[in-house]
Amino acid sequence: MKSGIRFGSLFLISFFLLFLCSGCSSDDVGVVNVLNWSSYIPDSVIRDFEQETGIQVNYSTYSSNEECLAKVSSAKEGTYDLIFPSDYMIEIMIYRNMLEKFDYSKLQNEGNIDSFYLNQSFDPGNQYSLPFVMASTVIAVNREHISDEIRSYSDLLNDKYRNNITLIDDQRIIIGMALLANGYDMNTVDESELNVAKEWLLQLKPNIKAFDSDSPKNFLITEEADIAVLWNAEAALAYQEMGNIEFIYPEEGTALSMDNFAIPKGARHREEAYQFIDYILREDVMKEIIESYPYKNVNWKTQKLLDSNYLDNIASNIPSYIIEQGIYVENIGESVKLYDKLWAEIK
Amino acid sequence: MKSKKVWKFFFLVPVILYVTLLIALPLLYILFISFLKSDYYGGMISSFTIQNYIDVFDQVYVSVFLKSIAIAGITTLICILISYPFVLAISHKKPRTQKILMTLVMVPFLTNSLIRMYGWLVLLRKSGVINQVLLGIGVIEEPLSLMYNTFGILVGMVYTLLPFMILPLYSSISTVDNRLLEAASDLGASKFKTFFKIIVPQTLPGLFNGSLMVFTPALGYFFITDILGGGKFMILGNLIKNQFLTARNWPFGAAISIVLVLVTCVFIFLYRKLGGKMDDLGGAS
Amino acid sequence: MKKIMENLYLVLVFLFLFLPIAVLILFSFNTSKLNIVFQGFTFHWYFDLFQNRTLLEALFHTLIVAGVSTVISVIVGTISAYGLHKYSFKGKNLINGLLYIPVVIPEIVLGIALLSVYTLLELELGLFTLILAHICFCIPFVIISVRSVLEGMDPHIEEVASDLGASKFQIFTKIVIPMLMPGILSGAQLALTLSLDDVVISYFTAGPGANTLPLQVYSMIKTGITPDVNALITIMLGIVFIILTISTVVQLRRFKKESSV
Repeated sequence: MKSGIRFGSLFLISFFLLFLCSGCSSDDVGVVNVLNWSSYIPDSVIRDFEQETGIQVNYSTYSSNEECLAKVSSAKEGTYDLIFPSDYMIEIMIYRNMLEKFDYSKLQNEGNIDSFYLNQSFDPGNQYSLPFVMASTVIAVNREHISDEIRSYSDLLNDKYRNNITLIDDQRIIIGMALLANGYDMNTVDESELNVAKEWLLQLKPNIKAFDSDSPKNFLITEEADIAVLWNAEAALAYQEMGNIEFIYPEEGTALSMDNFAIPKGARHREEAYQFIDYILREDVMKEIIESYPYKNVNWKTQKLLDSNYLDNIASNIPSYIIEQGIYVENIGESVKLYDKLWAEIK
Repeated sequence: MKSKKVWKFFFLVPVILYVTLLIALPLLYILFISFLKSDYYGGMISSFTIQNYIDVFDQVYVSVFLKSIAIAGITTLICILISYPFVLAISHKKPRTQKILMTLVMVPFLTNSLIRMYGWLVLLRKSGVINQVLLGIGVIEEPLSLMYNTFGILVGMVYTLLPFMILPLYSSISTVDNRLLEAASDLGASKFKTFFKIIVPQTLPGLFNGSLMVFTPALGYFFITDILGGGKFMILGNLIKNQFLTARNWPFGAAISIVLVLVTCVFIFLYRKLGGKMDDLGGAS
Repeated sequence: MKKIMENLYLVLVFLFLFLPIAVLILFSFNTSKLNIVFQGFTFHWYFDLFQNRTLLEALFHTLIVAGVSTVISVIVGTISAYGLHKYSFKGKNLINGLLYIPVVIPEIVLGIALLSVYTLLELELGLFTLILAHICFCIPFVIISVRSVLEGMDPHIEEVASDLGASKFQIFTKIVIPMLMPGILSGAQLALTLSLDDVVISYFTAGPGANTLPLQVYSMIKTGITPDVNALITIMLGIVFIILTISTVVQLRRFKKESSV
């Protein structure tokens, strides 16, 4: 018994010390903490980067811009080294002084980005961010089960689609969709207009099977739902998997989102973050990413490498007229509380 | 004398540190936050307000409270209905068999609850195992909607929380005096009467203990509504999680949490009134 | 008749309890990736599992967190239970009352409360904060379980030992701890189970580089899960089942001995 206790406590102490040591070594160079959207960069790209550079990637994900903001601001400063917020969130983060200015001398491949996508209003001169990919919402319909013509958001209100539609789980996008359906500005802060949007969504609710942002394509693929309002790449992936999916850019308008590389203030592994960005900007790497998650590519060198599977699919290679007409989510300041409450009312 | 003090110090300092740093401090801080204002970018402004508590009683959030209480209440009820016959049936077995069966009850719960939810997902979805089987033997022609609705959520909740009802009920039913039951049946009491007049009163603390351990977690299990409810059901857990992780309104999230704690306190008070012991909660003893 | 009905009912409840796990185990041997129809038998996913670094790392973190937090909870819990039992001091009732908080309040409140304090203290979220959170909700269970044994202990034993010249340290390590062993062990088992099972508190208190199995599975459920997860679950369950069988057999043996005396 005596030796047992001694042995036990020795074991415990060594275990504890081991743990402490492993804790302190985690701060070594050669690590980069990436916080990204789920389903955005394939595992293989991360593994290849690790192999090539010897840098370990700690990869975690979020499913909305708000979640990204919350994660970065509630964690200790410097926890994350690289994030991928969208347009309006970049603006908020710049305003809140949460981002580091880009040091372009650390990058070699930034010239690969098509200048059409640079210098946007949320970050003039790209001081704090660089475009990664562009996304748009789209309606995808399983044509094996649904044959009606669907051209607008309002067509989704049809009783026939009871419990058969999935939506992105993002309050700004979905409330925005309801606003567009009623002919209002997607970024309105007018309470009566928002009220109309709420009523519209409540009317749609019996048709909603689920809200999901992370992988709405699965609902189509497993035939859990036949209609989905989702991000374009998800729709394209569902098409690759099952064919017979029609993509509809509704006549009321489409929400656009430009997702960007950004380095949070105080990031401790900045060098590694730049290396990671540079790696992803390489045309062959970007090609692999785009082929796995076919969002709208913004890399002109990669664009030349992509085949017709990508280029001819309107869900992946968003047509330019859609981009011209598309609407971005805007920073609406304090009024976001109205959206929060409305969202709780719908769910 | 001095060494005695040292020993007292040794035995008490850890628990005092633990209670102040890991229990009292976090809760007091949440209480403090709940009186702050949030700026719309997710920061907190240090000015005192009770607006967050007024907001909790907004119709929208009251309905979330009521919905959560309904779901947690029904979950508790179903757990009770499943557990009573179950523990009664077990208590009729030989002691050896009882021990084996009660160990078996615990086996699924040594995997993570989220992993078990994944199992239910595979079973319940439209193309899931249950629908496949029913379609295969021709009982149904169209797949049933077993998840992304209240049914799915209830299955997940009941499944996750059932052992918390079974364990205390089992330990309280094994204290029921068998002679009492024999006497009752000798006197010609019906099964029904015996159950309600003898078994229920005798197992009341266990019943209430189980109810408490099922009801309160059920209010907060956001991952079950998330996975089996398809993200369209908001219970208190989802609401609090959203305030902290998406809406960036910590003060409001804190206020909801404090109200939730108060609701829990009411139930604890009732439990104590019924003669329940605090140490019995959670099945630790 | 009544016996048959009772047994049937037991079977039904156990079916309910084991169905989701049985399905996961079954599909770990399925050739199809989709967890929908069983198409053929394979060990493929078990080999895949050992290539999946993310999943193995998550498993490793889960085991570290569960192991370290159980060990620390048991040490602190045992010392505390003894201290609270033995000494009286100002505010003891308050401490005793506060100890029940992690047992009774909804986990989500504890989760956000800890997250807020971590943010306040600017602690970096990671394995350390995760372990601290697990310790937080495990200690009370250890204390309660050790205390139940302490209450049945004869206080004179310690006096006698002291009279015979045993030092305080000797009394605690040689007499008290061995006597408390059943309580300590059941407290440890409880702490381990709670730590392995937890989702809600981990969700709020983990950070980058501290991905645990439940968190990993959570994000995989959303983005598409692969059957190597099933393989992992099957292996874990196998281990748990073996341990439980051994401990049950041992307990039953002891039980038999006691009842034959």
